[in-house]
Amino acid sequence: MQTTTTFHRYLNRFGWLCVAPAMALFAAFMAYPILMSLYYVTRRWKGMTNTFIGLGNFVRMAHDKVFQQALGNNFIFMVIQIPIMIFLALILAVLLNQGIKRMRGPLRLAIFLPAVTSLVVVSILFRVLLQSNGMLNNILLSSGAIKEPIGWLTDPIMAKVTIMIAITWRWTGYNMVFFLVGLQSIDPEIYEASEVDGASKMRQFLTITIPLLMPIILFSAITSTSGTMQLFDEPNILTVQGGPFNATMTMALYIYRQAFYMNNDFGYATAMSYVVVLVAGTLAYIQMRLLGERRAK
Amino acid sequence: MSVVRSWSTGRALSLIVLLFAAILSLFPFYWMIVGTSLNPNDVLKGVLLPGKELVSNFAKAMKYYNLPLYFWNSIKIALLTVAFGLAVNGLAAYGFEKYPSKARDKVFGVLLLTLIIPQIALVIPMFRMFAFLKLLDKHAAIILPSIMSVFIIFFMRQNFKMFPTEIIEAARVDGAGEMGIFVRIVTPSMKATYASAAIYLFLAQWNAYLWPLIALLSDAKKTLPLAMASMMSAYTIEYGSLMVLACISVLPVLVLFLSMQKQFVAGLLGSVK
Repeated sequence: MQTTTTFHRYLNRFGWLCVAPAMALFAAFMAYPILMSLYYVTRRWKGMTNTFIGLGNFVRMAHDKVFQQALGNNFIFMVIQIPIMIFLALILAVLLNQGIKRMRGPLRLAIFLPAVTSLVVVSILFRVLLQSNGMLNNILLSSGAIKEPIGWLTDPIMAKVTIMIAITWRWTGYNMVFFLVGLQSIDPEIYEASEVDGASKMRQFLTITIPLLMPIILFSAITSTSGTMQLFDEPNILTVQGGPFNATMTMALYIYRQAFYMNNDFGYATAMSYVVVLVAGTLAYIQMRLLGERRAK
Repeated sequence: MSVVRSWSTGRALSLIVLLFAAILSLFPFYWMIVGTSLNPNDVLKGVLLPGKELVSNFAKAMKYYNLPLYFWNSIKIALLTVAFGLAVNGLAAYGFEKYPSKARDKVFGVLLLTLIIPQIALVIPMFRMFAFLKLLDKHAAIILPSIMSVFIIFFMRQNFKMFPTEIIEAARVDGAGEMGIFVRIVTPSMKATYASAAIYLFLAQWNAYLWPLIALLSDAKKTLPLAMASMMSAYTIEYGSLMVLACISVLPVLVLFLSMQKQFVAGLLGSVK
């Protein structure tokens, strides 16, 4: 008996040894920053010095038009772009799944490929393609589709559209792959049975495919939501520092600019990052609950 | 699905939609590659046939835009992150999975909770910490915080579940040490898991922008994404050379992806399982 307990203690110690390096790095680069942020969030920076202002940083947000615009933009991107992208990814996955077998591999590969490019490269490519004298406007002008160049990067509304186009290009194929895996796990007999009952393709899509894929759709929605809350590379590079006139300013970009670009106000930037965590956390929680209810059924 | 097979207009239509999507997906790559051989004006206008400037664009990228330096910085940072990341996260995942204890499960739960925290919320205290440690503008500042990844530990733990515990116990009976079992028996049979984790770690670091933008200050330390981004803010943009840099930045990922498609997708899907 004595030897078993010593052996167990030995195994337990080895278990700690295994996780120790990861825990040390976690403490240094995750736990410590989180703890420090609790201090920063109550401070106001002026030059090199900072003073205690309690919840003053949160009060400041109520009067900060750019902050509100940034938060609003994050929501606009989320509410418009994510449903469009998920819908497109779903359609493409269904078409690929029922299409010609020989074409499936190459087509899937082609549509997935944007997901291997870095967001910086995506932002650069789209910024060059969408210049007012750039390629897309040239094509549209010479084909007679438009008379004046479209301000893809200079018009406040079109700039938002541009960001959404770039994100959709980058992520649709990525989400499609998830849906494809889900589709392949659906038993074909379910479709065959519903065909015997005379169900149309559309009806099958709505009553079989979508409900069975719901967990994966929700998973996509969760990851996309958290990605959208963190939008940074695209508004910084593609539409140049959240322009025009902050039309594409996002929370992450505004936080970065407050902390590292404009006035080094680490306290205010930290307070805003708390808002991002809160919003992202709440949305994830709601979506997980939805997922949990689905699973429970 | 015999009904679909006979319904040929539907199939033709779906093929057209898919081909259209594939062309839209591939076009920017084509344009980027062709752009490496064009003068800046032709890149902008959207000339779609190769030009004659490839050599001069490449020479400019090498000479004026320090391509070899940025490439070396990027590859060095990414590979070191992968090497340390695999060692640290693999061992941690193994420890969490094969040495079950209530205390460690609680720790694991705390780790998972932090998955919800976006990077932007961590970079401010991290910046001040690295400034204090005098590690700003050093590549260590980029590598150190990226080694431990909760997502990778989670992903690898899921995969270690599939490794039979009986084999570990049998090896123990044969007198093998715990570390020996992990290094000589478990790790070699988990190559696919390690490959997926390596791809994920490599991609995240190779493409990283936000933290390097904050932590790397001098030109000589920059990575490829930083170099490309600063080319975009120059007064005159050398589009041809920019496309060379973009190609060089996408190429390793593309090669990695095409040669290891299965592990690549497994890495992405790891979280769904």
